[in-house]
Amino acid sequence: MSCFDELSAAEIARGVAAGEFSAEEVARASLDAIAARDGEIHALLQVTEELALKRARELDEMRARGEKLPPLAGVPLSVKDNMNLIGSRTTCGSRMLEDYESPYTATCVQRMVDAGCLPMGKANMDEFAFGSSTETSYFGKTANPWDTARVPGGSSGGSAASVASGEVTLSLGSDTGGSIRQPAAFCGVVGLKPTYGAVSRYGIVAFGSSLDQVGPFGRRVEDVAMAMNALVGPGADPMDSTSQECPVDFLEHLEDGVEGLRVGLVPALCEAEGISGEVRGAVRAAAKALEDQGAQTIEVELPHIDDSIAAYYVIGPCEAFSNLARFDGVRYGYQEPGCATLAEQSEKSRAKGFGAEAKRRQMLGAYLLSSGVYDRYYYKAQQARTLITRSYAAAFERADVLLFPSAPRTAFKFGEISSPTEMYLSDMFTISSNIAGNGSISVPVGPGPESGMPLAVQLQGPAFKDRRLLTFARAIERAFEAEGAVAPACARKGGELA
Amino acid sequence: MRKLAEVLRDWEAVIGLEVHTELTTLETKMFCGCKLSHDDEPNANVCPVCLGLPGALPVPNKEAIRSIVKAGLATGCAIQKRSMFYRKHYFYPDMAKNFQTTQGPVAFCMHGHLNLEVRGQGAAELPEDAPRERYASTPSVAMNAHGGTGALALDEAAGKGELTRIEDGYEVPIRILRIHMEEDAAKMTHIGGAEGRIGGAAESLIDYNRCGTPLIELVTEPDLRTPEEARLFMEKLRRIFLAIGISDCSLESGSMRCDGNVSLRRRGQTTLGTKTELKNLNSFKSLHDGLEYEICRQAEVLESGGTIAQETRHFEPARRRTQVMRVKETADDYRLFPDPDLAPFDLSDDFIEGCRAELPELPDAKRDRFVAELGVRRSDAEALAGDPALAAFFEEAQASARKGAASVANVLLNVVLGQWRAAGESAATSSVTPAQVAGLADLVAEDAITSAQAREVAAAMAKTDEAPEAIVDARGMRQVSDDDALMPVVEQVISSSPSQVRQYRDGNQKVIGYLVGQCMKASRGTGNPKRFNELLRESLG
Repeated sequence: MSCFDELSAAEIARGVAAGEFSAEEVARASLDAIAARDGEIHALLQVTEELALKRARELDEMRARGEKLPPLAGVPLSVKDNMNLIGSRTTCGSRMLEDYESPYTATCVQRMVDAGCLPMGKANMDEFAFGSSTETSYFGKTANPWDTARVPGGSSGGSAASVASGEVTLSLGSDTGGSIRQPAAFCGVVGLKPTYGAVSRYGIVAFGSSLDQVGPFGRRVEDVAMAMNALVGPGADPMDSTSQECPVDFLEHLEDGVEGLRVGLVPALCEAEGISGEVRGAVRAAAKALEDQGAQTIEVELPHIDDSIAAYYVIGPCEAFSNLARFDGVRYGYQEPGCATLAEQSEKSRAKGFGAEAKRRQMLGAYLLSSGVYDRYYYKAQQARTLITRSYAAAFERADVLLFPSAPRTAFKFGEISSPTEMYLSDMFTISSNIAGNGSISVPVGPGPESGMPLAVQLQGPAFKDRRLLTFARAIERAFEAEGAVAPACARKGGELA
Repeated sequence: MRKLAEVLRDWEAVIGLEVHTELTTLETKMFCGCKLSHDDEPNANVCPVCLGLPGALPVPNKEAIRSIVKAGLATGCAIQKRSMFYRKHYFYPDMAKNFQTTQGPVAFCMHGHLNLEVRGQGAAELPEDAPRERYASTPSVAMNAHGGTGALALDEAAGKGELTRIEDGYEVPIRILRIHMEEDAAKMTHIGGAEGRIGGAAESLIDYNRCGTPLIELVTEPDLRTPEEARLFMEKLRRIFLAIGISDCSLESGSMRCDGNVSLRRRGQTTLGTKTELKNLNSFKSLHDGLEYEICRQAEVLESGGTIAQETRHFEPARRRTQVMRVKETADDYRLFPDPDLAPFDLSDDFIEGCRAELPELPDAKRDRFVAELGVRRSDAEALAGDPALAAFFEEAQASARKGAASVANVLLNVVLGQWRAAGESAATSSVTPAQVAGLADLVAEDAITSAQAREVAAAMAKTDEAPEAIVDARGMRQVSDDDALMPVVEQVISSSPSQVRQYRDGNQKVIGYLVGQCMKASRGTGNPKRFNELLRESLG
């Protein structure tokens, strides 16, 4: 008897295809693990048992008819609760959308389901993805599976925790300023933010439209590569005019190694203030591991990179203000009862429907876009964005990938960071690739020697070279034997596969 | 209140128009695949995109871009190869996202112009001694919004806005600032409460069928000076948009809507007065009369020492007055910024030239050709060229007419068109063929039938596919011009109308009309009225 959390996505799909176990049995194993583990973790806001079992039975019937099964047949998946899925609520972690059910399914979710995934549930998140700790969710906090006194990171904290706890094999998150990579690092799983445009955003409740990107979480680089194949496989999404064709097999060069490739280190970033010794050590160790496998490390500069956070906290709130304007309580969402006028209803519905951080960002955006202010901030931020993108382009002329920390430190305790601006700094290494739009990945390198919490490094690549990132990530994974690790306290709790 | 002509002797009216046109000839909405039809059940043609549901994204309708580029090319605009969509924010339930997707400082079409010909009575609205150049005293209203490039170079062809006197009136070029693309809002119906407004309404219903309809907004520079010019501009624009086939351009149904901005200044001044914005101008007559009323109202306020408030006013045609809708104390802040869901547009030369190649002959060119090549009267040519279906009908008819195009134009406009209108028909829907109209025109040109008979034949044509010659023969309607047949009738009328004959001989020439009428009646409409007239005059000395 084994626990399904020990299996890779490929092993599950092979097992289902070979008839070693049915997709329904995998679904039930995942439901069992969720029942045993999620009470303490609270990674999921809804368990979509019926949807998962329905998909599992479809796959089992396909097999019974002798049909070829899709590549991720029977692989349990959770999706962040800002992704629409017919038959579930899309709450965005907000009271505003507490009861909101979407009449359509997001392209990325549909593509994962089409590829054979079982939609197990909707993952907790910071309200409307505003946050780095999942503490701003209206529906309670999510615990880090490695230490339940600590945050899982955010905003896709539920996604990362559901994978790290072994409740599911894969998860989808969204990353606007680090919301996939930082929780992946905190929870010790692999998290990829693909290049902007590689994965459709249709059906993802928008935060910052020019920054948001959907990406997968997994406990193995290979699992993430398989998820990427599902996400980009059918080509550009006709429903998202910013999505692009990405005709790449992400598994193809996974084991190619890094010999002869150049890894760029940015001294200013690796030595920046506020980075813990463990994180510094992790980056050094990862650099050495890559060198040991034949890569060459070089020092590169990324001028203007310091301006990323400032640019981000202009562009992000401006776009958020605009995107969240539709939540006025008129058509759907929280509606304050008993109001005399439309204006009163909108004001009170928004006042009560949104939490503090969501209000802060929208008010900031409303101010930054107002006439007379716009030129000084939004316009300047766009200029900074151009400079940052150029500075990446120059760095990638010399280096094949860049190696950074994912976050300045390992997962912090609940309530430890209360100042919004201090919280914003936990994204200091991730934001720049949302500004420039290029892909980046967080890869675990094992538990920290002092904290015992997962450590990780981040790799960033040129736009639409996300497959190269996975090859590097795989090299690191191999070196640190970090593959497939489930948080120790959760491993093997429930989830037995008959 | 003083009359317009008097007011405009003392004051110069500065008028600009904003014209919204729904692209009704397209199949689908601006940013989604929903059917473009407002007639279906409320909220039948909606989807996550036009309802602005969480997570939905816009995908631009390429055919709509083709339509606006054609509109720009047909009005002399410079087509901007690179332009963007912007988001314009306001909280109101008719826009499901609480922002409207529109364009920023650079629209697809910038800086065009239309030449207006103002003739007859309407030309008299402008004082004889009005300034000959217009542009210098009304600088461009180009918005200098966020990050914009500001005003582009003026189209050289428009010159300085110089007025040229022509026979019976004047000609003047009116600048078009821009034509931009945007999406229409939903239709709201307020039930209960006062005057159909949301304030005080018991219930407000929203129909999102219209939400997301592709809309182009044309903004003129403030170059218009009289209500007649505004009316003519709108008429001309409508004819052009009909010709290029981008909209059904119905003012009644609202697929073409016009707002007027108007301010007054003392004659000779170059600074602008405070303007008001006029709404509900949903017919050419309302556009003219609303502006006329508003100009006179402003003059009265200013002359009695008052000031004009910057406000939006609603024209009530039945009461011939304008009412305040809302006062603009501060400029609205729409927080315009580039839509991050829509990449900037880069229109290729091939695309633009492809649009140009699809443009049909425009109304002015068609009119000039009808005059120069076919010898049609200018006013008839103008009327024919303004309606694409009518013009096509005319061209086909005149090609088979033996007696020239001028007669075809005359019969079509003065006989056939009236009957079509009365029956709710048009050139596009009527069963009458161009060959029938050509035959009818020939009969009239040959004096074979009278114009009264022509009406009867035309009415008969609508019910049969017979040639007009056959109808005339069957009814024995051929006009008689033979003096031997006409003289007995003339003599009989003279002898039976002694008092009219006396009046005529006493010098009352007008009474001849009565006598001709009697002759026509006696000949049961078959006599040639012209010849009757001549014979009567001869007989009465």
